[in-house]
Amino acid sequence: MRPLDDPRTYLAKGVAIGYLSLLVLIPMAALLNNAFSHGLGVFWSAATSTESLDALKLTVACSLFAALFNAAAGTATAYVLVRDRFLGRGVLNAIIDLPFALPTVVAGVTFYTLYGPHSPFHLNITGTWVGITVAIMFVTLPFSVRAVQPVLESLTIDAEDAAATLGASPWRVFRTVTLPAILPSLLTGTGLAFARALGEYGSVVFISNNLPYHSEVSSSYVYSLVSQGNDSGAAAVALFLLVGALAVLITTNVVARRLALRRG
Amino acid sequence: MRFSVRKWPQILAFGAVAATVVATITVPASGANTTTVNVVGYSVVGPALTAEETAFEATPAGQNVTFKNSIGASGTEATNVANGLPADVINLSYWNDMELDVQANHVPANWAKQEATIAGVNPRIFGAKAVTTYPTAGMVTDSTVVFIVRKGNPLGITNWSQLTGSGVQIVTPNPATSGSAKWNLLGAYAAWIATKHTANQAQNFLKSVLEHTVAQPTSGSAALSTFLAGTGNVLLDYEDDALAAQKAGDAIQVVVPPQTILIENPLALTNTGLQNPAAVAFYKYLFSVPGQQIFAGLGYRSVLKSVWNQTKSTFAAFQKPTDLLTVVNLSGYGWPTIQPEFFGSTVTFPKNNSTHPSEGIVTYLEQFVGKAS
Repeated sequence: MRPLDDPRTYLAKGVAIGYLSLLVLIPMAALLNNAFSHGLGVFWSAATSTESLDALKLTVACSLFAALFNAAAGTATAYVLVRDRFLGRGVLNAIIDLPFALPTVVAGVTFYTLYGPHSPFHLNITGTWVGITVAIMFVTLPFSVRAVQPVLESLTIDAEDAAATLGASPWRVFRTVTLPAILPSLLTGTGLAFARALGEYGSVVFISNNLPYHSEVSSSYVYSLVSQGNDSGAAAVALFLLVGALAVLITTNVVARRLALRRG
Repeated sequence: MRFSVRKWPQILAFGAVAATVVATITVPASGANTTTVNVVGYSVVGPALTAEETAFEATPAGQNVTFKNSIGASGTEATNVANGLPADVINLSYWNDMELDVQANHVPANWAKQEATIAGVNPRIFGAKAVTTYPTAGMVTDSTVVFIVRKGNPLGITNWSQLTGSGVQIVTPNPATSGSAKWNLLGAYAAWIATKHTANQAQNFLKSVLEHTVAQPTSGSAALSTFLAGTGNVLLDYEDDALAAQKAGDAIQVVVPPQTILIENPLALTNTGLQNPAAVAFYKYLFSVPGQQIFAGLGYRSVLKSVWNQTKSTFAAFQKPTDLLTVVNLSGYGWPTIQPEFFGSTVTFPKNNSTHPSEGIVTYLEQFVGKAS
């Protein structure tokens, strides 16, 4: 019997498809249906109202900035965690994932206390795009670090050492040896972080001060539409976000795969 | 007595058996005739509803009744009920949220009459003993819009006109998500109408208030958190919530402005609630003298005249009745006309005026102010 004919693979396939349908495909189809339930015109005017576009611009800008910043800072963090040996490295390594576990609302309130009007550091970033970006950076940091870390671990240090012995500066070693190796996963991690950032609500809604047309993010605008009973409007704006996220995820995946193939 | 490690499995096994035995003995005994009442409430009223339920359970009608509460932002809860959240008794922040559930066929269209027909409270007409202070039917609690300022009131704020002075920063929740936010903005508008300004002048004042607003959190409770975290000089809030915050020892002070709006929170039995005798009994209890006394003790202005007369000394008084406007004073039919006029998503201007809309006032002002800043 060829492995593909094994009934167990059909079972696995069935489970995978059933599971994906229940969790992702059916809800997405329902969302799509909801968004267009009053026709294309209503969908378009809901998604492109001034308040929606203002929120969208802010959300995309902050998400992009946070994802890019995390790409740099996250790679540096992963590099230190993999290459350096220091006291507390294990603890630090475990802490990286905490933003995933912490309820985002708690993170939002904590950031408000630390970087708000009563900041012990005299640093008030509430109600600004900086505040929104910082909150998003916190929530998406694990994506950036964890995407790069395993590749760095599997990357033998010999090539870096060889380059260094041949007289390359540390920066050049990183640029010509390390970076090309981690670039595909770095792209995937950044894409994931960006997609996650677009929909972030809990950590952002406090620190933004939530002023419509000004510091209101898309997820909060969607929430306001839902609480006004405007489900199709909410679905329309959410669909806009989803399409954006999907485009970024596909692009980063394709580019990452090409890069990986080229390296062989 | 010492437990050795090897004995733990036995101890656990014994514990499990004991727990099972206890559970089998006790559960049927108390569970036999228990009725569950599903209660849905807006965010601020949660603690008051819990207090009412505890007191109700001690009455003969409340024997063997258990409650399941769902408490959250008024609009969110109303939407959840419309989408199938089990609900027998619903207490929302304002009229229009209840109408959402009427349109979804979960609440009967004549819900406001339940106060007279079921609870036996007479809003005004026939000479019954239980008479409400204000004639709006279906409203279980009253309150007002007040200011919360920092302890010691450093800016010396006592009235609405000071809110738009230079350097004053206001926190009020987002009117799109929060019922209390709608009341706050109506409070500002009402204060201007009560002090003999025209409707256009009142709109201008509302605009200045929004211009001085630095945060619009999603709910009343989120707004209080934001204010306590140091943002703003003035928070607009329900009087009951403000009194509770003051009682909780937060570093704040409550200022009752000389003019404001009367807040009225609706209560209704849903279609399922009408079939549930325990829910009906609880509904009656909330309108009864003991039920209203509990609300009054927690900072709500009682809708029953008798309870209000007993408790009014604990609330700030208004100089004349016209200082406390109702929604009917602002717009002919109350909420059915206030909703489109102030909070409708469609903005319409009258023929001869392109700066003061006749519909969607707040929607227009939010955009005007948001784009300008």
